[in-house]
Amino acid sequence: MESRIKKAISDVFNIDTNLINNDSSPDNIENWDSLKHMDLIVTLEEEFGIEFTDEEIVDSMSYTLIVNILKNNNSCGS
Amino acid sequence: MKFQEIIVKNRELEGCDNESKYKVTILSNIMVHQSKEICEYFLRMESINAKVSLGEYDNIVQDSKKNQNQNVNAVLIFWEACNFINGLHYKIDSLSQLEFQNIEEKIKDEIDRVLVNLKDIPLILINRFSLLAFNQFSLVKNRADQMIKNLNAYLEDASSNNMRLIDIDKVISRLSIQSSVDLRCYYSSKTLYSVSFYKKYFEYIRPIFLAETGKIKKALIFDCDNTLWKGVLGEDGFDNIWMYEEVQYLALQLAQKGVIIGLCSKNNPQDVNNVLTSHPDMILKDNNIIIKKVNWNDKVSNLRSIAKDLNIDIGSLVFIDDSSFEIELVKKELPEVSSFQVPSKEYEYGLMVREVSNLFYNPLETKEDIQKAKIYKDQFKRSIDKERSGNIESYLESLGLVLTVYIDDLNYSSRIAQMTQKTNQFNLTTKRYSKNEIERFIKDKCKIVISINVSDKYGDSGITGLSILDIDNYEIDTLLLSCRILGRNIEYKFIDIIVNIAQNKGVTKLNSEYIKTTKNQQVADFYEKCEFIKTGEVNGNSKYSLHFNNYKRKDIKYIEVKNGK
Repeated sequence: MESRIKKAISDVFNIDTNLINNDSSPDNIENWDSLKHMDLIVTLEEEFGIEFTDEEIVDSMSYTLIVNILKNNNSCGS
Repeated sequence: MKFQEIIVKNRELEGCDNESKYKVTILSNIMVHQSKEICEYFLRMESINAKVSLGEYDNIVQDSKKNQNQNVNAVLIFWEACNFINGLHYKIDSLSQLEFQNIEEKIKDEIDRVLVNLKDIPLILINRFSLLAFNQFSLVKNRADQMIKNLNAYLEDASSNNMRLIDIDKVISRLSIQSSVDLRCYYSSKTLYSVSFYKKYFEYIRPIFLAETGKIKKALIFDCDNTLWKGVLGEDGFDNIWMYEEVQYLALQLAQKGVIIGLCSKNNPQDVNNVLTSHPDMILKDNNIIIKKVNWNDKVSNLRSIAKDLNIDIGSLVFIDDSSFEIELVKKELPEVSSFQVPSKEYEYGLMVREVSNLFYNPLETKEDIQKAKIYKDQFKRSIDKERSGNIESYLESLGLVLTVYIDDLNYSSRIAQMTQKTNQFNLTTKRYSKNEIERFIKDKCKIVISINVSDKYGDSGITGLSILDIDNYEIDTLLLSCRILGRNIEYKFIDIIVNIAQNKGVTKLNSEYIKTTKNQQVADFYEKCEFIKTGEVNGNSKYSLHFNNYKRKDIKYIEVKNGK
């Protein structure tokens, strides 16, 4: 699952997968603004076949937070 | 296709040449940022080097003003009723009658302003207003219905020939309201439409851009057995085949609009001809079918020879066949042909052909389109005679060719615009113009728009040649001939005509240019053949100049020239 999330972040923000780590967030990824964040959400939703709640959209503002949300989501395939 | 794949693919497809970009601006009163990526992707997949920019949020009128002189090729507007004022969809029934009318008037006024601002943009796409997402449960006619109806009627009346109204409700219906609209993001950030919606939407409107950029399809080629009819003619026999009536009606309607209908079938030609001429249930008649390749050759060769015989690009063919073997073969060998397999669920076949019909989208229907069947049939008579006669010159002399020249004639502006949009092969600069732009050139004293009508003893091919001269700059801006009149030395006579007209305007020389595209290789050395002197070459594009003192007219005797006015 982690590698698919990293691939999504890498594709949406156009950065190398190797540069993504547990601390990755809008603070250190320049392209990660509120609009691109929505692109990431759609990408993750399509990739994992899930739907974020509006709260989860707001709460998923870093790599670690995204991993936690997806792990907590039972319907999410690995 | 997933959004992630679209993002990645779109990045790969992005060209680097700033000059040749097809610029689209999307204006909106809601957030539409995801439309950019998807719009670019769908156009770039069709080799339209699109660059999409977005207007400011809820700034349609001001942005339309800003886009006036930006060399934008197309403007698309998402103008959502729910955000005419914040929360209109839930406030509308609480408004006083005066407030309600004021909003309607304000929008009408804004429509007027926007259309004035955008009047010179070649293409404007506006979605018909809709409140479907919010009004879907209402059992009685309400104010939302009323406002939408009034404003759509207003939009329809204000419509001009560079404007296309899009039935957004059709896209929403195909996908479902629930999948089209993302309310989760509407209330937080005014993002109304989902990514799934944009995928369907741009797929739906793509033919409009294809028509605008000369990439629209021209011919629909059918297999016969289990495609035009159910059954195998050679095995089941004349009396035991059943017509796909709906499909044949749809094909007939396309033929009447100028789409070339053809057959590509492995069958005995005589058997198929019997069906075409005498089967009582056939809807498509022999005279609707422009070209037939009924033989035992492979379909790839037959499709190639159809394109060659019609003198059209093979990419402008659409092919329908029931066999997955044939379809896969054509897809592999001729990826530029759009190939479709008859659906296994027979009842879905009509719908499929309706969807395919969009590939022939033609907003400017002209006399030439409607007569196209006859024009192409005449073409065949000519090619048969040509084979018989052997000597080309004596054959051309026997044709009785007449060119009728029209100068700055507004009556032909639709056809002229259409030629700039559709002509790819004999087109020296491939500049695409809208009807509005052509009308502007016609009225402009510094520009001369010369169109020619070609006829011969077999029939009238209609307006099939065009040149636009920029007198101030001594320049041939556009020179093109429709492919169906090539091979008759008309191009050389046309240069004589152009030189005469320019001389009459007091001009003593003309500069010209060959701009290379993937399709106009055949005219790469045309100006050299006409004794223009090459003055430069960059990236395959050549510049030329012709001083009239040095010009020897070809003076072809067997082409008569008449003045159209």
